[in-house]
Formats: sequence, C-alpha cells, structure tokens
Amino acid sequence: MNVELVLFGAFALLTLLSAGLVILARSPINSAMALVSTFFFLAGIYVLLWAHTVAVVQVLVYAGAIMVLFLFVIMLLNLGESAHRGKPTLSRILGGASAVGLLGVLGITLSRVPAQPANLGPQAQATFGTMASIGQSIFTQWLLPFEAVSLLLLVAMVGAVVVAKSRI
Amino acid sequence: MVPITYYLLLAAALFCMGMFGVLVRTNALVVFMCVELMLNAANLTFLAFARMHGDGIGHVSAFFVIAVAAAEAAIGLAIVIAVFRSRGTVNVDDIRTMKH
Amino acid sequence: MITPLAPYLPLAVVLLLAGLMAMAIPQLTTRLGPKRPSAIKSSPFEAGSESSGPARQRFAVKFYVVALLFIVFDVEAVFLYPWAVNFQALGWFGYVEMLVFAATLIVGLIYVWKKGALDWES
Repeated sequence: MNVELVLFGAFALLTLLSAGLVILARSPINSAMALVSTFFFLAGIYVLLWAHTVAVVQVLVYAGAIMVLFLFVIMLLNLGESAHRGKPTLSRILGGASAVGLLGVLGITLSRVPAQPANLGPQAQATFGTMASIGQSIFTQWLLPFEAVSLLLLVAMVGAVVVAKSRI
Repeated sequence: MVPITYYLLLAAALFCMGMFGVLVRTNALVVFMCVELMLNAANLTFLAFARMHGDGIGHVSAFFVIAVAAAEAAIGLAIVIAVFRSRGTVNVDDIRTMKH
Repeated sequence: MITPLAPYLPLAVVLLLAGLMAMAIPQLTTRLGPKRPSAIKSSPFEAGSESSGPARQRFAVKFYVVALLFIVFDVEAVFLYPWAVNFQALGWFGYVEMLVFAATLIVGLIYVWKKGALDWES
C-alpha cells in the first residue's frame, strides 16, 4: 500500500466533505468555517503535488486573510441562519442539474485521459515548486502580469472603499 | 505515485460543487464562498498539470489566481455590504430591481 | 524511496499531536472537573449588572476597511517573499520592479487615508 495514495485519499475525502458542508450549511458562519477547513485540506493536496510554496500561500492568504474578510462581513451584517431556503424555481433546478451533469461529463472525459506525474531527476526535485524557482519566473518571464496585479489590488482597494464607505 | 487523473477528478468535483452552490444558494455571501471553491478547483488543476509536465509555470499561475481571488473577495464583499445597506438583505432572490 | 515530502514528517507529527490535544483537553476538563451548578452560577454574567440585549451585535464598517487593507498588503507580502529570495540574482532590475509594485499600492494607501477611511472616530 502506497503512503502517498493513502494520504491523497484522506485529504481528498476531507476536502470534499468540507466543501459539501460549505454548500449545505444553513448558517453562513458554518459555511465559512467549513471553507477554512477546505482550504487547509487543499493545502495538504498541494503538498502532495510538491507545490510547497503554493501550499504555504494558500494557508497564508486564503485561510488567513480572505476568510478573515468573510467572517468580518458576516459579523458586520449580523447574519443568522437563513429563515427560508430558496424557492425551487425552474432556473435553480436547471442550475443544480447542469452542475451535476457537468460533473458527469468532466468525470468521464478526465478518467479516459491517462496522466502520470513527470519523472523528475534529483536536481529538478530539489528546485521544483520552491520559492526561489517561482520567484525567478515571476520576476523575469511574468513581469507584466506581476505589475498588473499591483494595479488590480489598487483598483480593489479604491473600489472597495468607495463602495463600502459611501457616506463619509 | 498518485496518478494525475485523480487530482484532476478531485478538481472537477470541487468545481462542480462550487458551481452547484453558486446556482442554488440564495445567500450572497455563501455564493461568494462557492466562487472561492471554484477558484481553488482551477488552482488545483494548474498545480496538477504543473506536476504532470514537471515545470513551474503552473505554480506562477496559481500565485496570480490567489492574488485575483483576494481582490475579488475585497470588492465583492464591499458590494454585498452596500447592497445590504440599501436593501437590508443579502438574499439574491430579493434583489431584483434591475430585472424589470 | 526518498521524495521531497520527507521534510513534512515533523509537521505531520506536530499537527497530529495538536489535533489530539485539542480533542483530549476539553474532554478531560468536562469529565474530571466537578460540576455543581446553581441558579446563580448558570445565569449569564455581565459585570454585575443584569444582562441586556443579544450578545451578537453589528460591527462598524471601519473594521471592514482595516481587513481590506490587511488583505491587500498580505498579498503584497506574498509577492515580496519570492522577490527577497531572488534579490541577488535579480539585481537593480528586480529592485525597480518591486519599487513600481510597492509605489502603486502606496498610491492606494494614500487615497484611502485622504478619503478618511482610516479615521477611527468619525
């Protein structure tokens, strides 16, 4: 029995369970907490893919910052449990069915594609997914997207302040 | 070695769960959380293909996706706050002024 | 077979121990501690006075602005780390790149400041 496979199975099961809680929980606080655990288990999956840096960033930004923002807004609006579920309108039924159908199509297609991880030599194993190798590509090859991210963050900052604090 | 197909299937399942939540849930905040789930599924696909081909470009893409997700959460939640202020609800069924 | 996952073994041990502790300690305190409840003890306590109103109250929006700034500069820090690791290799070119990036964000910070979103009292 392969240790990596066992770890993958455990993390995948926990990820799917917590994602299911996110979409089914009645109170938004419960959804948010389930989302935090989804992010943590996904970080475990990223580690199994040797994406060391992205796993750390996932915990730092997603579980650390984005979820704080979500919880702040839930407390800001003081939302309790939603009293009523959404009415099962036609668009809602069709939407849910199309999500299930998409899962079926993707599952059939992807399971027919044989995909194995690349066989990396010891040299590549030591640098794959490290901070240094990612930084090297961001700051040389992907310079324009990197600077665009700063503009995106600037727009987000200005826009959020204008929208949220309209009455100053 | 875990076959990359398993990771891709997990990402597909996560994406479809997020899509289900976006289309079915009524609370705008939960809809946003489901969008985050879908973004994470995209990230997982990037990382799985990066591992399959053994290059780091997928990791760079995942970095940028995370930055975009942060900006999206900031601005989207600000819109939720503004809507709650003017309408007093975050239920997407009750916000239908634009829909004639 | 040695994989790049080997350094994570100590982390896994720590997480396992932390999880076990988190489950065991509350269980032990409820099982071992004596419980003698009375009417006075189990009433909600609010600094001597009668409790009034629900515990959950709405936060002010100014907290949202602080959380927003936190998230933006958290993402900046995430990009600063790989830059700092490669600082020697990138040289002056990398220095200017990060200067442009940081300057753009500082423009946003100045805007938020001038707009008065950081004033706590207003």
